[in-house]
Amino acid sequence: MRKLIEFKNIVKSFDDSLVLKGINLSIHENEFVTLLGPSGCGKTTLLRILGGFISQNEGHVYFDDIEISNVPPYKREINTVFQRYALFPHMNVHDNIAFGLHIKKQDKQTIEQKVKKMLKLVNLQGYEDRPVTLLSGGQQQRVAIARALVNEPMVLLLDEPLGALDLKLRKEMQVELKKIQQEVGITFIYVTHDQEEALTMSDTIVVMNNGEIQQIGSPTDIYNEPENRFVADFIGESNILEGVMVEDYKVKFDDQTFECVDYGFEDNLEVDIVLRPEDIDIVPLEMGRIKGVIKSTIFKGVHFEVVVETPYREWIIHTTDKVELDKEVGLHFFPEDIHIMYKMGSY
Amino acid sequence: MKGYASLVKPYIIWMSLFIVVPMLLIVLYAFTTSGNELISFRFTLDNFFRFFDPVFIKVLLKSLEVALITTILCIIIGYPIAYIIANASEKSQTLLILLITLPMWINMLVRTYAWISILSDGGLLNSLLEFIGLPPMKLMYTDFAVMLGMVYNFLPFMIISIYTVLAKLDKALIHASHDLGANPLQTFLRIVLPLSLPGVISGITLVFLPAVSTFVIPKFLGGGQYMLIGNLIENQFITVGEWNFGSAISLIMAFIIMASMMLTRKMDRDASENTGNEGGKLW
Repeated sequence: MRKLIEFKNIVKSFDDSLVLKGINLSIHENEFVTLLGPSGCGKTTLLRILGGFISQNEGHVYFDDIEISNVPPYKREINTVFQRYALFPHMNVHDNIAFGLHIKKQDKQTIEQKVKKMLKLVNLQGYEDRPVTLLSGGQQQRVAIARALVNEPMVLLLDEPLGALDLKLRKEMQVELKKIQQEVGITFIYVTHDQEEALTMSDTIVVMNNGEIQQIGSPTDIYNEPENRFVADFIGESNILEGVMVEDYKVKFDDQTFECVDYGFEDNLEVDIVLRPEDIDIVPLEMGRIKGVIKSTIFKGVHFEVVVETPYREWIIHTTDKVELDKEVGLHFFPEDIHIMYKMGSY
Repeated sequence: MKGYASLVKPYIIWMSLFIVVPMLLIVLYAFTTSGNELISFRFTLDNFFRFFDPVFIKVLLKSLEVALITTILCIIIGYPIAYIIANASEKSQTLLILLITLPMWINMLVRTYAWISILSDGGLLNSLLEFIGLPPMKLMYTDFAVMLGMVYNFLPFMIISIYTVLAKLDKALIHASHDLGANPLQTFLRIVLPLSLPGVISGITLVFLPAVSTFVIPKFLGGGQYMLIGNLIENQFITVGEWNFGSAISLIMAFIIMASMMLTRKMDRDASENTGNEGGKLW
């Protein structure tokens, strides 16, 4: 895939606070990229720099190998779906979608044709004459997407577009957005703080925190091989523990040495270890190397969330089996379930 | 909270005594002939018919014309100012709005007197012209002076009501317009201007209605010859002593004002419906 957008050492500060601390990132054609991070991590700022609504203090933005830092937003081949849609309240659905085409002075017939096609794509046929203020959140969302896509941009920016929708609608729109992206075959850059949304839709996830990129990778990479404690903690639930890498394939935590599949660390290096709750099994006491007492169990729908207390820590375990409170049990996991990470700031 | 409802009672009494009763008296005067006894009235419509004299109609038309020009000038001057203020930083916005409203803290009469001392033959402006070697200009008692006084007095109302709407305008809409390829001028014409119309309309209400019935400004800056409907009414009451005719003109005036208020309210409603917000509505 061809490289389409490149951020080079982007630094941005508002007043005295540094919001982006030197971002380097490449985005390719037809890629669904998600910028994921907690609020205030700089993800929206990065998106707005790409859209041209704010400018960076340092660094360069390249679009198709051309520096666009000084190109005003209305000359960029990028369209945006805004956080609260920003539909023009004095126009109906049709005029909102046709806005960009009118500006480009396309002829009437072409405009009608394209608007019709877009309405079909977002499943809003027959809504042309409705005032946008009378639409539901989900419908407004679709109009916003259609209004951006009708201009046939090379890149679509989406700034937490599903944030205002309820859970069910959000799930539906996630699937639909992914479908639309595959249909039109352009690059989507999606900003969200919702890790599940990111895992569902993205080709590539860029995890950000405190104005820095923590990890770039596919959803499975990010989930299974988190690069540091922050990523492991932010994506899904985890048991994160501190330990020592005794030697290759051997890690020591809770005063026991376990076999693992990681290598290449310095011997006796202090590391962070992540064990996903669904990778740990509750077994009879004598079969587990780690022993503890069941402190609580909460029914979560598909699984139970069980907390097991050992002398060292509390473990969170997801299991589909019902367990008894206060029972002494053993915990079991396989070597490949242990993920070793460098401590943050030590690399 | 219900108990507080009775607190409104003194206000209602005050209002009826000093606003409703005088208004009823005006209606009574308008429909009666002069020289009535307290108990016997002679009703007549003559006072109204008297008004349909070319002389008075001319005064009415002149008033409407002056008010209309004032309103248009206020829009032309006020809109850019409101736009600039709305786009300034938050700190300067507060300061600028304060500056705009500052003159309103001083009585209108005093401010109009101030203009006399600026515009009069030996006044500030003419002294300045003399100082730089230009011939003096006749400024006082001209159409220009009246117009200046009117625009000066009513401009803040226009600026504030347009500013209120512009300041509330969602900046994301402007970003969205840029995002869709519209340059700043196109964005202004297609997005900002139509969405700020409710503010302009309430500005029109706030400027046109008082402007059409004002009498202080034309009296002081236009001189004795400058006759607008407000001056005509004042004359009937104070100079001529024709209270019945004066009351009739007041009623005609009230009718015109009510009609134009209904018109602007309808315009406001239409604009609000189109923009989907209630922005800029002052009542």
